[in-house]
This record gives sequence, structure tokens and C-alpha cells, in this order.
Amino acid sequence: MTTITPTDSKPKVLGYSHTIGLCVMQGRGFMFPVDTLIGPDARIHTISRGSNYPELQIRVTVYDINSEYSGVYGGYDDGLRWPSAIASDRDGNVFISDELTDRINVYSPDGSTAGYWGTRGGKDGEFRRPSGIAFDSEDNMFISDQLNNRIQKFTKDGNSLMHFGNDPIGNDSLNLPWGLTVAPDNCVYVADWGNHRIAKYSEEGTLIQTFGRQGSDDGEFNNPSSVAVDDGGYIYVADWGNERVQVIDSNGAFVTKLRGTATISKWGQDFLDANHEEAEPRSRSDLEPDISLFGGDPHEESSHIEKFFWGPTSVKLDVSGNLYVTESNRHRVQIYTKLT
Amino acid sequence: MVNNTELALVAHLLRRAGFGATRQELEEYLADGYEQTVEHLLSSKGSESINDALIHRYHPDHSSRHDHSGAGSYWLYRLVYTDAPLAEKIAFFWHNIFATGYAKVTNGKPLSDQLRMFREHGMGRLNNLLLKLSRDPAMIIWLDNIDNHNGAINENYGRELLELFSMGVGNYTEEDIKECSRAFTGWTVANADYTKQLAVRNSIWPYGKLAWRYEYIDEDHDDGEKTFLGETGNFNGEDIIDIICKHPSTARFISRHMYHFFVADEPPVPQWPYTPPRDIEAIKVLENAYFESDHNIQYMLRVLFNSDFFKSEDCRYKKVKSPTELVAGVLRLTEEFSSPHIDISARNNQIGYMGQQLLNPPSVEGWHQGIEWIETGSLTERVNFTSQQLGDIRKAGVKKILATVIQNEGDYLSAESYVDKCLDELGALEASSRIRDMLIKYANDNGLPTVNVSTDREMAEEKLSAMLGVVGSIPEFQRS
Repeated sequence: MTTITPTDSKPKVLGYSHTIGLCVMQGRGFMFPVDTLIGPDARIHTISRGSNYPELQIRVTVYDINSEYSGVYGGYDDGLRWPSAIASDRDGNVFISDELTDRINVYSPDGSTAGYWGTRGGKDGEFRRPSGIAFDSEDNMFISDQLNNRIQKFTKDGNSLMHFGNDPIGNDSLNLPWGLTVAPDNCVYVADWGNHRIAKYSEEGTLIQTFGRQGSDDGEFNNPSSVAVDDGGYIYVADWGNERVQVIDSNGAFVTKLRGTATISKWGQDFLDANHEEAEPRSRSDLEPDISLFGGDPHEESSHIEKFFWGPTSVKLDVSGNLYVTESNRHRVQIYTKLT
Repeated sequence: MVNNTELALVAHLLRRAGFGATRQELEEYLADGYEQTVEHLLSSKGSESINDALIHRYHPDHSSRHDHSGAGSYWLYRLVYTDAPLAEKIAFFWHNIFATGYAKVTNGKPLSDQLRMFREHGMGRLNNLLLKLSRDPAMIIWLDNIDNHNGAINENYGRELLELFSMGVGNYTEEDIKECSRAFTGWTVANADYTKQLAVRNSIWPYGKLAWRYEYIDEDHDDGEKTFLGETGNFNGEDIIDIICKHPSTARFISRHMYHFFVADEPPVPQWPYTPPRDIEAIKVLENAYFESDHNIQYMLRVLFNSDFFKSEDCRYKKVKSPTELVAGVLRLTEEFSSPHIDISARNNQIGYMGQQLLNPPSVEGWHQGIEWIETGSLTERVNFTSQQLGDIRKAGVKKILATVIQNEGDYLSAESYVDKCLDELGALEASSRIRDMLIKYANDNGLPTVNVSTDREMAEEKLSAMLGVVGSIPEFQRS
């Protein structure tokens, strides 16, 4: 059993804990997972986007931090086609955005479907490819409305409250926003994917600050996909295009970065234990080749070096401050904890 | 009917050296003139119009190139989005000659990497291309060079390198094949046992598929003396490729392939030893270009596209478009994928239903081309596809075409005007008088000339879009 000791220390160093995941078409494991939710009951929900067998592959896999598998719910039969993000309200109801149907699918805490809402369009309350979802302290939800380049706020029943981020006059418009989070101070942080930065808004929708610019140096981003903020104001960014995770402080100063440290998951080990014809040659293989072989291209590096993040689409924090990094292309979640 | 000779020639070039072009694109090329358009196509290697990040965001399976579906659909995006069409066309050309298939490779990333290599080196020196091919991980698995060891050769790659990739049957001996194979011992992939096992089992475990990389194992290389095509030495693979590339049969083989793909159908490759080229003078021109340029493919293409035998009206609309050319060409016209969309997989599947599953040729011989693309089932697929797509008024490109056809023409258009403008908008097509007459009859039978385009625009667009679908089924559209 894996145990992570809660800590309130600052993330000067993030220590690798373990990895959960296995690439499988259905059941225990994931197929192109894109987001993870840590529910009020500490159970973990990871949504798989699937690929060419969506009727099998799209599902929410439920498990806990010790890799105990609870089952799956949701999927193609519920109308999910291009699921993008997952979040829950304080009662444990789950909300999944879908970029193809422009809807929010709703599930009860037991995983049964509870309907959907959402309409395609550019008016208030309408979507064009909804993506990241986050709840605030009042159980209202913010959704990145990606092709409308804005953030919308809704009641959890789907009633439109306000929107912001799309400023056609100034230079501060969002550009294809992806993930977002509501920080402990109620500010909304957005992974402003197309602008290669993190945008911080007040809960009223006023732009307060932006962090980073396009690049691969420390503190720079390349198409960030997701953002999380801890109690200390530290900002965790899935720096998707650079295939890494970065942490910056509340002023935007670089703190640390992760490139990925995955080891074999429990589910993966179970597979290898039962398949010696793969496990044996794997044990003799070099899965960490010299990084200089790949021309400095992070995407190529990650395609060859198994432990590296490949497609880090989501960063989430649990109440203990543990960091969960969901990797679409490696079908797993790497978990890190803060070290003193 | 289009009377502009230069326009018709540029349109011919774009059909053969690319995947067709919209009328607006043709105008832009035409402004530079034919020869400059050739130079532009030859020099354009990369494409800024392809937004990989956006594609990867919506399609993680395209990002990882997990399987042939993801890798194939990703390539289809490139064919549709590219503003460097010849770079993609040359990759497509080599994909059919150095045919490597998912059925055995079972990993889309190495196949996609191979296509990238064709894109980057496919118009360079043949020696270099064959060297890259011999070091290509997908090829090493596909033709078993992973099992080609010092003292225990596997002849599969050596044989096909000579037979299907460079010289053609009848220009070497069985002993040459053995010596060639010896020279490529030790040319393998990293983690060979694991990579092979994953490929055999089509394994996705534990964390999806790993990319592959070339590795040279010196101790597994047979460094002994070899005699190959009459030359003797301690040859390694590079030496063998140099000997192959200076041989006249290689010049003939590559020239014939180039003529077959870009100019006019030759019989299938297995018949080449017994059937002379249809235009021996053209082949000689290309052979000379091969040697003049020290085996440079780009130089050969320049000669080909500027030749009378390529420009000749006799060879236009004579090649049946491959399913890939047909589908990519239609999608470039309809602009269906102005933003990445899940339906790209369905379009890629459509190519397979027409008989050409990208990244999965039926054998190392590739696909037989020309008239073999047309049989009862595939013809139905082709006609249904083009009719549905070009007749779909919801698509942005179709809307543009309809607007252009109708604009500035008063309240009523004649059937002849509808037909000629539709042909023009679908790529400056020059239909035969028989086909044009049939289309005019269709327009009249469907009452197009009686529709007032000012007051009954919706009816006009409905009838006109149906007509576009019909134009997509005529020989001049189905061929290039």
C-alpha cells in the first residue's frame, strides 16, 4: 500500500511518489486520459478520451491513491464523444465537458447519468468547444469556452451567470483557453493555451495578472494546458508543449520543474507479471536513452523516454497537496508530493 | 470552358505534384507563371500552414501516432492543410515504393517517422534516401533486418532493396542478394528483442507504444570481404548503396517509377522486366537527369515537370486518382477541416474503403495504381464520397464555390454558364464536350436556369450544390 504523508510545506522540491495507470481499451486503466478529478471522498476519477474505438474506450475510471480500482462509469452511450475535463461539486456530482457535443454531461455520485446541458453557439450560456471546468467555494462553476475565447460562469444547473476573458478591443483576450482552476483566494487561473501564459482573474472576471511567455526557459510556457494553485499561492502548470510541469510562485518567479519520473504502476506490474514474454526483454531494455539523440524536441524525447511526461494535459492537487499529472499519450497519472 | 492555356497547365501541375487546388490558389500560382510555380513546389519543404499543436490538442492519438488510424488521420490533415504540397506528394510517392505496413509494424509512430524522413529527404540524393531507408526502424522491422545477423543472414531486406527499391528484377544475382544482406548485418533497432516482441504482439502495455530508434551493432556486423555487382571489398551498407546508385538499372527503375506516378500509367512493377516503357524517350531524359545531377531526385523532378511529355495535353486526365489523392483533393476544396474535427478519422477510413489504407499497403509491392483503383465497389465509394462532400452546402468551401458561381450573373444563369463555372471552380477542369453536354442536360433537367438566384437563393444553392456533387463524379474530376 502506498501512503503519502500530508504536508503543508512549500513545493521547493516535489518528490516523485508513484504512478497509476495502464493503457487498456476498457476497464482498469486508461485510453488517452485527459483529466483527473479528486472527489470529495478522495476517490480519483480519470476521464479517458479514447480514439478509434470510442464506444469501448471513453469512460471514467475510478480508483484511489493506492491504486485500488473501483470501476468505471460514463461513456459513449451517454453521448460522450470528445470529453475534455472533469470536475465535481461539493456533493460529489460529476460534470464532464465535451468538445464535440458542446455539452456538459452530469453524473450522480454513484456514477449514474443525470442528464446534460449546453448548447452550441456564441451567445451567453452557449459553448464552442467547452474545455476546463472548476468549481468555486459557492459551488458555481467556471468553464473555459475555448473557441469563444472566454470563461463562462454557471450555476451547476447550467444557468449562465457571467463571462469574461474575451476582450476584442484590448490585447488581453484569451486564446483557446484549456484548463482552469479556482484558487483558495477565489481567483480564477486559466491555462491560456494559445497565448502561452497563465492568466489570473478575479472572481468578478477582472484580469489581474498574467504569468509567462512563449518559450522553453524556466518560467516560460509552450501551450500550457492546465493549472492548479495550492494554499501557499504556488502555481502548478502543465506546460504541455514543453512536455513538463512547472511551478512558479504567486509573483510568477520560477520555483521548480518536472520532466517526469514514472515507474511501473501496480496495474502495469500486474500485467508484466502475467506476461513474461514481454517482461523479460523489457527488463534487458534501455528505456532511458541519451536525450541528445532527439534533437532537443520535447515531443520526440517523450516518445522515446518512457518515464518522461508525454502529453501532460492536467495537473490537480488533493487536499494534502499531492500533485496528480495526467498524461494523455502515456495513459497514466504520475503523483508527486511536496518535500520539506 | 477554360481557355487559358497557362491556367490549365498550372492546374495539371497541381493535380500531379500536389492534391489539386482551389480556383483561388490556382490564380495565385498563375501570377508567378508555370516555371516559377515548379520552383516554388520543389523548394517548399516545410509547411507553416500545418498547426501540429492544434491537431495534437484535439487528437492525442495523432500526437502519439499510436496506431495506423491516428497516424493515418494525422497524415490526412497534413495533405489537406499543407502549403507545400509536393513535399507531401513525394512522401506519398515513396510510401508506395518503399511500402511499409502497419499490419506487421503495429506501431504508427515509426511509420509516421518514416514519412517525415521521406518528406525531409525524398527530394534529395537517392544515395542518402536509401541510406535513411536502410536505417529506418519501421523498415528494419517490416523486412526483418532485425533478424539479419553476422553469420546468420536474413535476406529479406537485401532482396527487396535490390528488387523493389532500386534496381528491379534481372539486374543482379542471388549471390548479390546474399552479399548485400551481409553488408547490412548489425543494422538494427535499439532494444531489438523488446521492440520485436511488442510489434509481434501489437502490445500497448504498459504505457502505450514507444517510439523506435536505429542502432548499429558493430559486433553483429559481418565485416568480411564481399563481392557485389562485380566489385569486391569489405563493404558495409553505405558502400552497397553507392554501388547500387551508380548502376544504370537504378536510374531506369527510379525514372520509370517517376514517370508512372507523375506522368502516365506504366504496367505494374512485376511486369517491367518484360514490358518496355511506354515512352522510352521520356525515360531516357529522366535517366540522363539522374546521372547529370549525381542521383538528385529534385533535379529529376524539375526536368520532368518542365518536359514536353509532362506538359502534353495527351497525358491530362489520364491517371485515375488514388483514393488518397481523391479524398485529400475534395477536402481541400470543401474546407471541412478549417479546425480539427473528429470526422477526420471517418474521412481517413473512407480512403481505406476505396482500397488504400494509408500506412498499411497490402504488401511490400505497395498498391497497384491506375485503372486498378476502379472496380465496382470502389467506384461506388468514390462517386458517393465526392457527391456527398461536394454537394454538402454546410461546408465552408462549398458555400464559397456556390457564392462565386452565382455572383454578378444577374437573376438567371444559363445551364452552360452553371456548368462552365462549376468546372472552373473545382480546379479549372477541362471537361470533354460529351461530358459537358451531359452536365448541361443535367442542369436543364433540374431546372437550374429557371431559378431566380436573387429571389430564390436557397433553391438555387440547393440545386447548384447537387450539381457540384455530379461534377465530382465525372472522369475529369476522378482522374488527374
